[in-house]
Amino acid sequence: MSGNNVVRIQDVKKIYRMGKMEVAALNGVSVDISRGEFVSIMGPSGCGKSTLMHILGCLDRPTEGKIFLDEVDVGGLDDNQLADIRNKKVGFVFQTFNLLPKLNAIENIELPLIYAGISLEERRRRALELLELVGLKDRANHRPSELSGGQSQRIAIARALINNPSIILADEPTGNLDSKSGAEIIHLFKELNEKGITLIMVTHDQDIGRNSKRIVRLKDGLIIEDEKVK
Amino acid sequence: MNLLEPSKLALKSLFSNKLRSFLTTLGVIIGVSSVITLVSMGEGAKSYILNQVSGWGVGANSLTIHPGKSDSTMPELTLTYGDTIALRNKVDSIVYLVPEFIGKGQLKYGKKEYKPSFTMGVSSDYPLAINQKVAEGRFFSRADEAGRKRMAVIGKTVSRKLFGEASPVGERIKINRTGFFVTGVLEEKGAMMTFDMDDMVLIPATLAPLVLGTSKIWEIFLTLESEKDVPLAMKQVENTLLARHKKKDFHIHTQEGIIDIYNNILNALTGIVSAIAAISLLVGGIGIMNIMLVSVTERTREIGIRKAIGAKRNDIFLQFVIESVMITMSGALIGVVIGTGAAWGIMTYLKLQAVIAYGAAALACFGALLVGVFFGVYPAMRAARLDPVEALRFET
Ligand SMILES: Nc1ncnc2c1ncn2[C@@H]1O[C@H](COP(=O)(O)OP(=O)(O)OP(=O)(O)O)[C@@H](O)[C@H]1O
Ligand SMILES: [Mg+2]
Repeated sequence: MSGNNVVRIQDVKKIYRMGKMEVAALNGVSVDISRGEFVSIMGPSGCGKSTLMHILGCLDRPTEGKIFLDEVDVGGLDDNQLADIRNKKVGFVFQTFNLLPKLNAIENIELPLIYAGISLEERRRRALELLELVGLKDRANHRPSELSGGQSQRIAIARALINNPSIILADEPTGNLDSKSGAEIIHLFKELNEKGITLIMVTHDQDIGRNSKRIVRLKDGLIIEDEKVK
Repeated sequence: MNLLEPSKLALKSLFSNKLRSFLTTLGVIIGVSSVITLVSMGEGAKSYILNQVSGWGVGANSLTIHPGKSDSTMPELTLTYGDTIALRNKVDSIVYLVPEFIGKGQLKYGKKEYKPSFTMGVSSDYPLAINQKVAEGRFFSRADEAGRKRMAVIGKTVSRKLFGEASPVGERIKINRTGFFVTGVLEEKGAMMTFDMDDMVLIPATLAPLVLGTSKIWEIFLTLESEKDVPLAMKQVENTLLARHKKKDFHIHTQEGIIDIYNNILNALTGIVSAIAAISLLVGGIGIMNIMLVSVTERTREIGIRKAIGAKRNDIFLQFVIESVMITMSGALIGVVIGTGAAWGIMTYLKLQAVIAYGAAALACFGALLVGVFFGVYPAMRAARLDPVEALRFET
């Protein structure tokens, strides 16, 4: 067992109970992802992609199965410890950006650092660095409503990166973008991946998926295919 | 995480919703400011009364005897001049004794006639007992009193009415058709409550039955050697008068007792006002809780985002509780400022001394803090407990 696995999950099940009905969103998923990978998760709507992302990002707990992040078993952690992991080891990127509308770009980027207890000057310094990295230095004081979709998503990516996480989890990051902005985001992801950042991305789009290094296909809560991109 | 960051967050969201924050605060502002106004005025009234009572020049070493079993009944006047002589003999610690015969006096000086508010028969101890100085001329002496000398000492108001600016000392006036010499003018005392204490004529107690047509006393005022003598003196007064009257048709006040009565009334009022304050804070608190619950729902997605990037339950909880506390505390502070200002304005208008109700202000702020915490905790807990995945899915 290599110590290089950022993510290792074993037989993860997620079952939603709705009255007497049981919906199995994940039906026993096992996967290893090592450092520096860029993985696309694909599959039809409702197959459990988002559920898997939430569990990988410690936003949700599985009904069964084990999850290791940086070889730490997260199953035994309490809510506060999970929050800490989300803060320090995971960076989320959402389809709808999920920026806070009342904060400007730089305040949005530095938000995770507030919960990490980092001082204002340090927060500003790092946020500015990332703002530069995503190419939006001139938009520091813009509110999300004053940014385009592509720009918003880049701010969201900067926010995901600010605590130097072990992994970036992006759930359909291009889903709300036109193809040009989408391509820019994917380009940014590839650049980040080349710097060694581990990425997991959900997408519907075959072409976008081909930009990653590995595609994991889900159906009805099960992995049906796991292949390297040639 | 310390309190600074959640406080900043709370401030930010309060300021981003200014009108709502203000309206939510308004309940607390109105409640606190009206209470502070009333309490400040009450304190002002209290100190005014205390000043007036001690302005009488009487201390804790004095007693007053009133006819009747208690204050509440309209008394039959049962105390007599004979009683005062008996008291002088039987009560050891007496320094001064002043009976007050109150009657109606029609004054006449030449052609001028005047009817003062008070025409009283008193003993020669009067000026010493209540610390009343004689501005001009002299008060009648014990010998004058015993000799039933027709001497009148008048207040400034009476003097002005009958003599204008001229000195009245040595002038002859008639009181209810009996001739008197004016021998002295009392130093001005001003008004007590609404009574003009300078609108007064004093004559020897021994002449009261003849001139004022009354042989019954309204009040006997005793000054004792010291405060320590009060209990024994009360007993001796009681025994002496019981022996003479054969029943308890009189009652005794101490100075402290009188102040206590006023204090009790004012404290009761303060109590009522405080109850109103508590109710208004409570109502304000319920309003705040309501708004906070709405706000938590509206900001479900924000909470989800914050949790997704690492906010702990405690961080979310603090953010919302601090918001609620800030609403009540700022309301309380604004209320204290407005209330104090209003009290000051009203008291100045009434020409009374305003007393800033520090205690009430501190209490109001403390109460507001409690209300903010109490009514903020439940919404904050709801916010803190939100499931992050569900919160993120929430559509606004
Ligand atoms: N809170 C929930 N309660 C009940 N069922 C749920 C809940 N969340 C998800 N599900 C169900 O779990 C299954 C997987 O949902 P999930 O959101 O992971 O799908 P997805 O692959 O992300 O779909 P899409 O591509 O449409 O985003 C679906 O059938 C969904 O209805
Ligand atoms: Mg999904």
